[in-house]
Amino acid sequence: MTDIQSAGPLGQPGPLHGEATSLPPGDGPSTERNASLWADAWRELIRNPVFVLSSVAVLAVMSMALAPWLWTSLDPQDCEIELGRQGPGGGHFFGMTKDGCDMYASVIYGSRPSIAVAVLATLGVVLVGILTGILAGYYGRWVDAIISRVVDIVMGLPFLLGAITLLALWRKREWYAVVAVLIVLGWPLVTRIMRASVLATKNMDYVQAARSLGASDLRIITRHVLPNAIAPVIVVATIALGSYVAAEATLSFLGVGLRPPTVSWGVLITHGTQWALSPGHAYLLLVPAGLLVVTVLAFILMGDALRDALDPKLR
Amino acid sequence: MGRYVIRRLLQFIPTVVGAFFLLHYMVSAGIQLRGNPARAFFGERTPSPEMLAAVKRLFNTDDPCLAQEGNPLHPFNPCLGLFVERMGNVAVGDFGTDYRGRLVTDIFLSAAPVTLRLALIAILTEIGIGVLAGVLAGLRSGGFIDYVVKISTVLAIAIPVFVLGRMVQLSIVPFARWLRDNGASDDVMGLVAVTYKLDYPWLSLVIPGIVLGVLGLATTARLTRTSLMENLRADYVRTATAKGMPQRRVIGVHTLRNSLIPVVTNLGYSFGVLLGGAVVTESIFNVPGIGGVVIRSVRFNEGPVVVSMVTILVIVYLVVNLIVDMLYAVLDPRIRYD
Amino acid sequence: MTNTDTTATAAPKGRGRRHTRLADVDPSATLLDVRDLKVEFRTRYGIARAVNGVSFSVEAGETLAILGESGCGKSVTAQAIMGIVDSPPGFVTGGEVRYRGVDLLKLSRQERRKARADRLAMIFQDALSALNPVFSVGFQLGEVFRFHRGMSRADARKKAIELLDLVNIPAARQRVSDYPHQFSGGMRQRVMIAMALALDPDVLIADEPTTALDVTVQAQIMNLLAELQRDLNMGMILITHDMGVVADVADKISVMYAGKVVERADVHDIYADPAHPYTKALLESIPRVDLKGQQLNVIKGLPPALTDLPRGCNFAPRCRYARDRCREDTPHLYQVTTPGGDGSGRTPRGSACHYWEEVVAQ
Repeated sequence: MTDIQSAGPLGQPGPLHGEATSLPPGDGPSTERNASLWADAWRELIRNPVFVLSSVAVLAVMSMALAPWLWTSLDPQDCEIELGRQGPGGGHFFGMTKDGCDMYASVIYGSRPSIAVAVLATLGVVLVGILTGILAGYYGRWVDAIISRVVDIVMGLPFLLGAITLLALWRKREWYAVVAVLIVLGWPLVTRIMRASVLATKNMDYVQAARSLGASDLRIITRHVLPNAIAPVIVVATIALGSYVAAEATLSFLGVGLRPPTVSWGVLITHGTQWALSPGHAYLLLVPAGLLVVTVLAFILMGDALRDALDPKLR
Repeated sequence: MGRYVIRRLLQFIPTVVGAFFLLHYMVSAGIQLRGNPARAFFGERTPSPEMLAAVKRLFNTDDPCLAQEGNPLHPFNPCLGLFVERMGNVAVGDFGTDYRGRLVTDIFLSAAPVTLRLALIAILTEIGIGVLAGVLAGLRSGGFIDYVVKISTVLAIAIPVFVLGRMVQLSIVPFARWLRDNGASDDVMGLVAVTYKLDYPWLSLVIPGIVLGVLGLATTARLTRTSLMENLRADYVRTATAKGMPQRRVIGVHTLRNSLIPVVTNLGYSFGVLLGGAVVTESIFNVPGIGGVVIRSVRFNEGPVVVSMVTILVIVYLVVNLIVDMLYAVLDPRIRYD
Repeated sequence: MTNTDTTATAAPKGRGRRHTRLADVDPSATLLDVRDLKVEFRTRYGIARAVNGVSFSVEAGETLAILGESGCGKSVTAQAIMGIVDSPPGFVTGGEVRYRGVDLLKLSRQERRKARADRLAMIFQDALSALNPVFSVGFQLGEVFRFHRGMSRADARKKAIELLDLVNIPAARQRVSDYPHQFSGGMRQRVMIAMALALDPDVLIADEPTTALDVTVQAQIMNLLAELQRDLNMGMILITHDMGVVADVADKISVMYAGKVVERADVHDIYADPAHPYTKALLESIPRVDLKGQQLNVIKGLPPALTDLPRGCNFAPRCRYARDRCREDTPHLYQVTTPGGDGSGRTPRGSACHYWEEVVAQ
């Protein structure tokens, strides 16, 4: 739903890639080239303040989701309904939620379902995308024809509309339904990148040489094709993580995402939007939305920095 | 040109059928997995079998194929018969009714004008401001404007539309109050209204429209910037300079025309984002458009109405994409003569 | 020639500088006289001195070939003369480009722009990328007339057709509204030439005009260029890395290496006895039918990085004549006198090699 579309044709090889002709066949060229690509990228990344800051933010959010007790000693379930919507103060620096729970603790614990949905959806998208992309690119012909057609059609469906439709039919909106819908609508993006990458690598001389020496398909794919394609996929996956965090919130707001009693950022923000316009209650929106925006921002900036570092064409 | 148009038109039909099949299949699988939405319609109450059957018929979900108990392949039966039947219905413009028996097409048509106005404002914002910002940023990459544009576009992408909408409302409310106390005219009050006002069918949509356009604006600005910078380095730009063309013409005609090609191509995709965003924006600003209808149907558990509304929107979306493709051919002669 | 520290005389920067004017041209002065031109690129990896004190001159009706490997600064030299160096990162930091006595580098932006196409025109290497893909060739040709001569669209179109005729494009009247991608490579280069000739310029710079073309088409285009240059009495600067092309067309040659002219001479002199080891090596690296079966001489090593030029002679690391002096002491352009070519040519011969006599003698 956000900028993942413009992740760019990063997998395409530069003119240099064709020069491996005289090198002996085997693992040499691709592994070495990739090693230096990653080494260069890493050198550039650790000097990039945007990347460093955004990774710190990402790590912080991840630790919230994995170990919320590191961040707060309060129990988000320890709520008193009569304290509901009480503004900041009195030991509750960020105030109380609609249901009278500590806002800070709720937001920390609320990261867990939000991040879990985003991470699982991204993993799913990447796995399905890589698999279909390799199938389409490597085996070509009718496999490619079918996969490419399906990709076109799925990508032709506006993301949010598709998600609303599919989720509207679920009565209870469990987290796995949200994850499933995000995967169903998201995989073609990775497929496209992967397919392009495979097509570019497949006909390279060293791959042809490896094939003529009798390397198996599996070996060619894992040794030559995957290492070449992984950089753009990582970039897209990073940005996708951010947009899926935002998507969870948006779907919850529309009433087709996670629902109470689950407390996710989306659920908290939705409550916030209902109350924000009544005086003194803006914090109900601003606190969870602020954290969400910082998280999404961190993922997107991290993805951007990765893309800049990993795209040799920009050097 | 003619051959290109014909080819695109021929490709259009399988795309539409494919998109419908995808929707149909996922909806069917959903019903097979999770039970009939007619049941959901009654919420916690238990309906009599006759009533349930009636609602199922109303929602056109009474096909036995959707009830999969005892089917070993459940839920992977694509219900092809039902699909053909539905395609037939779509072909004659029958999208079913809501639970009160109102035709979905009627609901759609009565809500469409508001959404159309909203979308128009959003698209104008997106293109107008987006292209301008992108050009200014691209011309002096690394400069102050570039920096500002970069930060604001990333922010615009990171803030979900519904949060942005509420925050805009939050900041406008005190301002509107101040305006009212200082005797601002009714038109101005219509402009700063945080909800849709029937009396101001355009003015009160300006702010919602801009909010809706922000996401697309950010993408457009980024795309324009990248594309302009790429094209500024192109050989033909150097040729134009070498011909002694003034700088304004080199950028305004030679570079911009090429830079806008990807922007136009992206318009189709961004229209899809816009349709989704419209649902959110209309809900935030209480706009009685198509998005409002969709949300209401979601709240009332009228799944089949949602499906029908979205089906119509997908048709609109695909047609818009077709038009964008034609526009692309007008802009880029290399496509026309393939 | 020898003093390389003339930067002090280069155009003072800033708003207050006095502009020269195109109206001050002196018809009796040299057509184009480039003196000690310096261009550098300021990149994140340091300053690349792409052109490092280059001098040469061209008269009307004369063809000067600038010869060198890719990256030696020959294209940048051409761009600096035209005033189309990408800036930033490129900056012309010193020298003069005198057109009939007027230093183009000191013209106002406006005047400089008017000089382009009108007085100096340029042909680019790859016509497909040098022509704008989204405008018809008629539009791109006509534009020149509309903006320099204030012609109407209809008149400009007529002119465009005339030009296409001039460069022998068949059915010019129909093809004028075609787009660049609808032409073959050779035809596109003809369009490029037509565009350069539109306003009857005095100086024509051709930057590798035939490199992107098939061998058979190359000859046609070179012949067309030579013919037009003769008929229109233009001064032509032909930039190339192809010694074969040079021999047929050029009157004199400047050989460039790492941003400097290392040898200059009349064309027949240089083939007879090259006076610089680099030129000699270039000539030896041309495949020859009569030496079939023998090992081809290639120049070992790579040109130096322009961000980090060595002390002394730039070519020393690859030179078989090099000794200690070459690595310390930068050679200036020595006056060369050879049995074949001492005063007989129009140009004084020069070679930037301390041991040029040895090179010639071998």
